[in-house]
Amino acid sequence: MRKTLLLAAMLCLPPAAPVEAGTALRLVEVLTSPERTETLKSLVASFEASHPGVEVELISLPWGSAYEKLATMTAAGDIPDVVEMPDRWLSLYGGTGQLESLEPYLAAWKETPGLNDRALTLARSVGGTAYMLPYGFYLRALFYNKAVFRQAGLDRPPRTMDELRADAARIAQIPGKSGYCLRGGPGGLNGWVMFGAAMAGTNEFFHPDGTSALNDPGWLAGTTWLIDLYKDGLAPRDSVNWGFNEVVAGFYTGACAMVDQDPDALIALAQRMKPEDFGVAPFPKGPDGKSYPTLGFVGWSMFRKSEHKDLAWALMTALDGPAGNLVWNKRTGALPIYTAAAKDPVYAEPVYQGWFAELADPDVVPTVMPTDLPGFAYFADSLVVRSSQQALLGQISPATMNRQWAAYLTKAKRKQAEGMK
Amino acid sequence: MRRGAWEPYFYVAPSVLLIAAIMVAPLITGLSYAFHDIILLDPLSGDFVGFDHFRDMAEDDSFWTALANTAVWTSVSVALQFGLGLALALLLNHPLPGRRLVQALIFLPWAVPGFLSGLTWAWLFNPVIGPLPHWLKAAGLMAEASNILSDPHVALWGPIVANVWWGIPFFAITLLAALQSIPKDIYEAASIDGAGPWRQFCRITLPLLAPTILLTVMLRTVWVANFAELIVVMTKGGPADATQILASYIFSLAFQRLDFGYASAVAAVLLLLLLGYAAAVMALRRAMAERG
Amino acid sequence: MMLRVLRILALAAFLLFALFPLFWLLKVSVTPTDLLYGEGVRLWPSRMTLDHYVSVLRHTQFPLFFRNSLIVSAATAILSTVAASAAGYAFSRFRFRGKAWVAGLLLVSQMFPLVIIVAPIFRLLAPLGLTNSLIGLIVVYTAVNVPFAAFLMQSFFEAIPKDLEEAAMMDGATRFQALRQVILPLTLPGLAATGGFVFSAAWSELLFALMLNSSASVSTFPSGLLGFISKFSVDFGQMMAAAFLALLPVCAFFFLIQRHLVQGLTAGAVKG
Repeated sequence: MRKTLLLAAMLCLPPAAPVEAGTALRLVEVLTSPERTETLKSLVASFEASHPGVEVELISLPWGSAYEKLATMTAAGDIPDVVEMPDRWLSLYGGTGQLESLEPYLAAWKETPGLNDRALTLARSVGGTAYMLPYGFYLRALFYNKAVFRQAGLDRPPRTMDELRADAARIAQIPGKSGYCLRGGPGGLNGWVMFGAAMAGTNEFFHPDGTSALNDPGWLAGTTWLIDLYKDGLAPRDSVNWGFNEVVAGFYTGACAMVDQDPDALIALAQRMKPEDFGVAPFPKGPDGKSYPTLGFVGWSMFRKSEHKDLAWALMTALDGPAGNLVWNKRTGALPIYTAAAKDPVYAEPVYQGWFAELADPDVVPTVMPTDLPGFAYFADSLVVRSSQQALLGQISPATMNRQWAAYLTKAKRKQAEGMK
Repeated sequence: MRRGAWEPYFYVAPSVLLIAAIMVAPLITGLSYAFHDIILLDPLSGDFVGFDHFRDMAEDDSFWTALANTAVWTSVSVALQFGLGLALALLLNHPLPGRRLVQALIFLPWAVPGFLSGLTWAWLFNPVIGPLPHWLKAAGLMAEASNILSDPHVALWGPIVANVWWGIPFFAITLLAALQSIPKDIYEAASIDGAGPWRQFCRITLPLLAPTILLTVMLRTVWVANFAELIVVMTKGGPADATQILASYIFSLAFQRLDFGYASAVAAVLLLLLLGYAAAVMALRRAMAERG
Repeated sequence: MMLRVLRILALAAFLLFALFPLFWLLKVSVTPTDLLYGEGVRLWPSRMTLDHYVSVLRHTQFPLFFRNSLIVSAATAILSTVAASAAGYAFSRFRFRGKAWVAGLLLVSQMFPLVIIVAPIFRLLAPLGLTNSLIGLIVVYTAVNVPFAAFLMQSFFEAIPKDLEEAAMMDGATRFQALRQVILPLTLPGLAATGGFVFSAAWSELLFALMLNSSASVSTFPSGLLGFISKFSVDFGQMMAAAFLALLPVCAFFFLIQRHLVQGLTAGAVKG
């Protein structure tokens, strides 16, 4: 099956452009894992085969240091041609003019009409210009441990936040088990946003006048709800410092029975849990009947200082054309960018139904984080982590935490508005 | 004599040139960032801002917390490393069967890369996958087997233990060397005079070791104060800044906020503090040498 | 008698403390992935496996990283020892104008977190083509290690009486010849110890290895180890297997030279 896809990918490649012998392209991946690197290498190999004389150097940055590594490299002038671009970094590179606009290439590409609306909207999140070509989406859903649920006498996942809390309380009564795998450490912002928005009944981060809405009573009720969940012992005590790996490990060891995650967590879980022991359900709805799971995206970008732009675009279409994208997403677990791909057998497996149910439900409003704001990465990775830990530990009140967040985002929004003038 | 006057410069030249080019020049550049607004990748940054960063620092809670933590981290780590290193050196100074093998094994922790020892200890402290929390609970030191790295009140102990594990060999080796250089006759003479082992230690060993102790403790203190790897790997400075020291704060400012200007300002403050400390120790050493 | 038993017990406790984490590292490296979390707290897994080692050696680029680390560490050790011996000798034997300044320079170079010179060094090496290269790393590592190595060599030289060179020079040799033929043979243990110390410091270095080099062809094993930490999972089994393999040479090396380190430091310590 893989070979057929690769063959198809090769056939879909644009005809080789005449090129001098020995052109070197530099491709940087950042969400590196051994399996992804292997897949990329095979996609790159078929690209090189159809473009004789072109050599692609694949640079795999370890994820833990990729952010600062790429920043140091590019700041010192060591600039690659194509880079894997997470949504959070887009404003840092796109907003400072380092990325090449892909609009002219998209206008001429024959696959562009096959992209779903979301793909193009998200590609244009910064400055209304497409600085990246997404390869997939990540939509949060609720993973739940069926085995532990059965043990607690629960036969279905919670559909509302009240039910979630009640279920967590029942599970916490089982010795050694806890209800919710809270991500109190790095990467926890998405969780706070989802619960906050659900209680607030809105996912608007800003008021029309540009001030942040995070200080409003609704959002405050949401963050307080989550903090109370932790304080009442419904999440493990250590979870105040948990990042992705700890949260997923907590889930598959059964230490906590529910976790909110993206489809890419499936890969780690499938290796360690039996399919009948876990399920994926739409994220529970708030008091007004709506839920706001966060939507993330990652894609490929081209640097403006690249010396082989047309060739770089060719590489991007090889990686992200319909065939290449399918191969890649099978490995990464992201939801597809092509409208036709939703029908592929890969996505027909029962575990994916939770996500497709979310996408089809009108009361589910996918929420895009304001990643286009300058300084958003610092907000998400430092400010939120520190202040949320302080709030969980009772060192500051939830009101203070929300106020700090609102103040920072308001300032960032203002800076963005000034930058655009 | 003229002929030989250039000799010493010839010998130190390679080292001086290398250090000047690779460490001092970049240091000066790096410190100059402290007076500018340097945000990596922001083409609009780069303006001269004078002492603004230092003014911000005075009002930055994270900075003061990190400063306090640095004092605790450095003093406790060095005290434990020194104390335990000295005890180990004293133990190894006696003939024992298999001593050479024991000595070689006990010094192995120094060969382990810092970040790896951080990862291993973080693993050991995690109740899901490590034995330590369960043993601590069994020994009655913990109410429940939880991860000390998540508890702001005791989190700093995690990196401290890893640091002590890694640093004992350094002190043990240097102190053992110093111990072995003290001629045995002095001790014999003291025994004949009736002095017991404790008195011998206080009156003979300590004074003779003092210059070495002072120098190694000073060097080690400076290294430990700048040693961010363990903390970055084990707790990233959390939870809620409980384990953040100045060196790890600088790391996060530079590599998460990409704010090299402010990071350099904090580094300048740290450098000044350590220079002051080194100067004080050198003065103390000179005073002791003049007296003794 | 009682004292002797206590001493032995105390040493045993130290030994346990020193070796237990290394034992745990070994244990994780032979635990199959599916048992890693389930049997986490056991002292030895119920089912041992060498799969992680096989995987590291066959399916990753670890042999390449290992080779790079070896080249960089050995070259750094040799260059540092040469430069540091010269400097240490000068400090031990000469009094010269600016000696205090040079000593101060060496001291100050130890006093700041290296993270603030990463960007300036990158900017310095990039135009010279030394980023993303092993040579660039060797240059940086040598500079960083020379100060402490010079301190070590100085105390080794202190242990050798100055009269030895004086005697050789009176017989007509130049100082340099005296140094080479008379003094250096006597400081061989010191040279080995210093070289070994620098070797293990270069072997363990992470920050510059990560920041200056990006291609796999010039990566060293510490940045290779971090590659096992992906965004989505940490392959602890393989990571610890690779770590154990990487620890073997440096531990063996250390095992052999630590005695010389003690011997050599002994002589100069009290005067130090």
